[in-house]
Amino acid sequence: MEAAARRQELLPEIGSLETEAGEGRRRGLSAWHLFLVPMSLLMAFPFIWMFITAVSTLPETRRFPPSLPHAIQWHNFIDAWTTVPFDRWLLNTTIVAVASVVGNLVFCSMAGYAFARLRFIGGGTAFLLILATLMVPFQVVMIPTLLIVRGLGLVDTLGALIVPNLVTPFGIFLLRQFFKTLPVEIEEAARIDGASRFGTLVKIVLPQMKAPLATVAIMTLLWRWNDFLWPLIAIQTESRYTLPLGLAAFQGAHFTNWPLLMAGTLMSQLPMLIVFVVAQRWFVQSLASSGIKG
Amino acid sequence: MSAVTLSPAPPAAPAQPARKASRWERFLASDSLAGWGFASPAMLLIAVFGVAPIVWSVVLSFQRNNLLSQGTWIGFKNYERLMRDPLFAHSVRLTVLYAALFVPISIVLSLLCAVALNRKLWFIRLYRTAIFLPVVASTVAEAILFLWLFDPYYGVVNVALSKLGIPQQSFFQNPSQALYCIVIMTVWGWLGFSVIIYLAALQGIPKELVEAAAIDGASRWRIFRRVELPLLGPTTLFLVVYLSINALQLFDEIYVTTRGGPLNSTLVVVYYLYQQAFQFFDAGYATAIAYVLFLGILVLTIVQLLIGRRFVHYRS
Amino acid sequence: MNIGSRRHAVAAALALAALVLVFAVAACGGSSSTSTASPSGSAAALPSPGGGGTVTMWHGYTDVERTATDAFVAKFNATNPGFTVKVVFAGNNDYALQKLLTALAAGKAPDVSYQYGSSMANLATSPKIVDLGPIMAATPGFNWDDFYEAERLATTVNGKVIGVPALVDNLALVYNKALFDKAGVAYPTKDWTWTDFRSAAQKLTDPTAKQYGWAYVNDASEDTVWRFLALLWQADGNLLNADNTKSEVNSPQGLKAMTLLHDMAVTDKSVYLDSGNGNYLNLFNAGKVAMLWTGPWDLSSVNAGVQYGVEILPADVTHATIAGPDNYVLVDNGAQQVANAWDFVNWFCSPEVHLAYCIATGHLPIRKSETTLPAYQTYLKKYPADEIFVANLENATKARPNIPTYPKISAALGQAVQSVLLGRAQPQQALDAAGQQIDSILAAGQ
Repeated sequence: MEAAARRQELLPEIGSLETEAGEGRRRGLSAWHLFLVPMSLLMAFPFIWMFITAVSTLPETRRFPPSLPHAIQWHNFIDAWTTVPFDRWLLNTTIVAVASVVGNLVFCSMAGYAFARLRFIGGGTAFLLILATLMVPFQVVMIPTLLIVRGLGLVDTLGALIVPNLVTPFGIFLLRQFFKTLPVEIEEAARIDGASRFGTLVKIVLPQMKAPLATVAIMTLLWRWNDFLWPLIAIQTESRYTLPLGLAAFQGAHFTNWPLLMAGTLMSQLPMLIVFVVAQRWFVQSLASSGIKG
Repeated sequence: MSAVTLSPAPPAAPAQPARKASRWERFLASDSLAGWGFASPAMLLIAVFGVAPIVWSVVLSFQRNNLLSQGTWIGFKNYERLMRDPLFAHSVRLTVLYAALFVPISIVLSLLCAVALNRKLWFIRLYRTAIFLPVVASTVAEAILFLWLFDPYYGVVNVALSKLGIPQQSFFQNPSQALYCIVIMTVWGWLGFSVIIYLAALQGIPKELVEAAAIDGASRWRIFRRVELPLLGPTTLFLVVYLSINALQLFDEIYVTTRGGPLNSTLVVVYYLYQQAFQFFDAGYATAIAYVLFLGILVLTIVQLLIGRRFVHYRS
Repeated sequence: MNIGSRRHAVAAALALAALVLVFAVAACGGSSSTSTASPSGSAAALPSPGGGGTVTMWHGYTDVERTATDAFVAKFNATNPGFTVKVVFAGNNDYALQKLLTALAAGKAPDVSYQYGSSMANLATSPKIVDLGPIMAATPGFNWDDFYEAERLATTVNGKVIGVPALVDNLALVYNKALFDKAGVAYPTKDWTWTDFRSAAQKLTDPTAKQYGWAYVNDASEDTVWRFLALLWQADGNLLNADNTKSEVNSPQGLKAMTLLHDMAVTDKSVYLDSGNGNYLNLFNAGKVAMLWTGPWDLSSVNAGVQYGVEILPADVTHATIAGPDNYVLVDNGAQQVANAWDFVNWFCSPEVHLAYCIATGHLPIRKSETTLPAYQTYLKKYPADEIFVANLENATKARPNIPTYPKISAALGQAVQSVLLGRAQPQQALDAAGQQIDSILAAGQ
């Protein structure tokens, strides 16, 4: 009774500490907006600039310091789409990115869980070895990687972009850390009840990992979507290019078609931003799965 | 560390020779088999595409090789040369300085931003997307923007400084300032990455713990320090390790802005090795540099993980 | 995590050792595969072009140049049924070398690749890059001497000719007429000297309007170095001695050149120092920079409203300029492929065809005979500024040393120039350092 009354008193305090899925939405303007609005503008600055460039004419972009265009050249977006096989590249990039995301979610979950919960011979060393592959710059290993990919017959195919990236040490490491923060009692209870390890992972553990899984999905998507150097050397046929590689068509050594390049880049980043906004829903803890029950 | 208890042996089936079956069954049910089973797809892929290329290219570090003609075996000469190379020592100092600035600043700033974004407000989804935008933006766009903002003659930052009475600074063209400009640029560019990871972690903190502390009379700051911060330990460890590994391999942002200059003031290790391989055609030396860097990062990571083992508490 | 467990460590170490052995063997085997093909260009015994295969050409052309290249290749394919040429955009030319190196190492290289002239000396060490000298000699009517001397110097390494000129250019003085008019300065002439140049830059600099007389690319890259070399040669100095064994840049002539840069950038403050991102052109368009030392490639990026003029560079002792030829290299993918690739390239740089290409793109002619063809007048009408650039080719009498250590030499010199321009070193100091570094680079050799 006393606790409940105290809780009532402190409701406003608690309310400000709660996550978005908590009870009752905060109403009215908060002082936080004064900080968040300028910060957001600062962060969004490159995109604002990219947009301004995308709707300018080419001569307007060739002046410095930059200034606003006289008229909005919406046609640049259409031109970027039509003068190059943009739709083809978009399809390629989507295939590569989605396949990598699925692969990562599946394999990194399994491996991360193994490293977090299961003690197995060589596990510690294997984990360190996986981390170690992050410690060598790509420029050093790109030629041997190309040789291996060629040996597998994947050069100049989308497979060359997907297969080496079905798993990332980032995903394994991140998920391992998050698996370890979950209370192990629930999993033990499930095992005692006869569930298999795999079943426990899928039915009990993963539903509590929505936010980290969403993070792995977002970052994998981002990295595969924007990857330039590896596709540059692994893909030789234009019809198999991904968007960053294709957009380089607007960028010569001495001459860059800035409006088309920026228009194309903005269009290519749009799917990712949409995914990010949508994925926000998994950054919200659902009441039912929080904490320890029973 | 979480104590994982093995599930008890399955109930003995009737009329089965007890000892032999249970050892096999125990093995099948064991953590070892399960562990390898779960991890093997990932490990196979990483062995083929991660480990193999690294091992393969180690051989290159023992050669004088310009990637065009047959390499000549020179043993440890590349490594000896490295030890005597003042420019390499300089690049190591720069890289360590950069990482020592980038990692702590990123972690503190991103934690603050995550806390700010972890609340119910109008437009919160928009704010979160905004903070993630620099991560999405291409490095080239980012570079052009920063070079313009910090332009010595026409940049907005200098205009603002002049209004405050501070003389014009050369920023990216000043050997004493360029590296710090890169720090600012990369902190800004990577902030969203750390923020969403912290946001994910903040979601995982059970409300009950926070409420209980509030009921007990703790102030908001104490709640943060005593309840939330320790629970963010595993995430912070992850970010420290991961951001360090990345910071020590800084390359892209240097390539699109200063290219190691002015006057080698931003010549970080990976840029130095890129020059050796693709500008000076000395891939053997470049690979040797890469492996010394690798060893350094490996040692640092092990130290960080050992410290983490001591100070980071996982709920069990 | 069990990293401390000894038993696990031993197991892991054994596994790793096994892995190393396996791949060490594989790698040793692998790296020798880059030299299996014997150069088939050595004898004039190339088969006749044909056979119905495909010749792949990698390039980095964009925009107008790309459309033109595609069109010309299509025309060749239409009139040459013997084989097909596939032209592939391989990304920005800045990546061309990296991409070719990687492709060669992986064994899947194109037949023809566009490469910067600065890459020639090192590409020549590859047994897979075809030595074109004998092939050119065996091709009737090819006429190697018809190409400008600067191009021939750029593609010849140790007596081997490893590329066919794709593009030639040089540095000339491009200036904004309106700014000259406003400041009341007479336009540059053929007889300008360094003194004229420096005083014009001073008069055209206006700190309050943030306007500068000259712009210089100051990122310590080849872009920084080659402009300095033009100055050095104008002072009649040399970078290296005749047999490329010692540096000669630390000389009275080198000092004159370096001092001019110092005087203009540090004393007069009349130079905008570009950080390598091409901003100088945007400033030129905005009327903030009055003079540029640049090449024809930048002309197409000058906005329509800007009235500009072109003149040869000012002189100290000579009006020397520097040329930056780029080349097509041929890769040895078998005798028939080489024969086909040569057939195409030979057609592509024949006088009439290349002149037509120039008319489409604004490129400079690569052969002297192109200037005698009737269509040349059409070319000049379309690109009046190019007339000076073509005439200026005669001033490109010296070339950068085509030795494998040039990139390192360039880096050392680039640092020296950058330090002087930033006011961080005195000219003599910088030259001393550069001279020493260059000598030790040459001594170490490669």
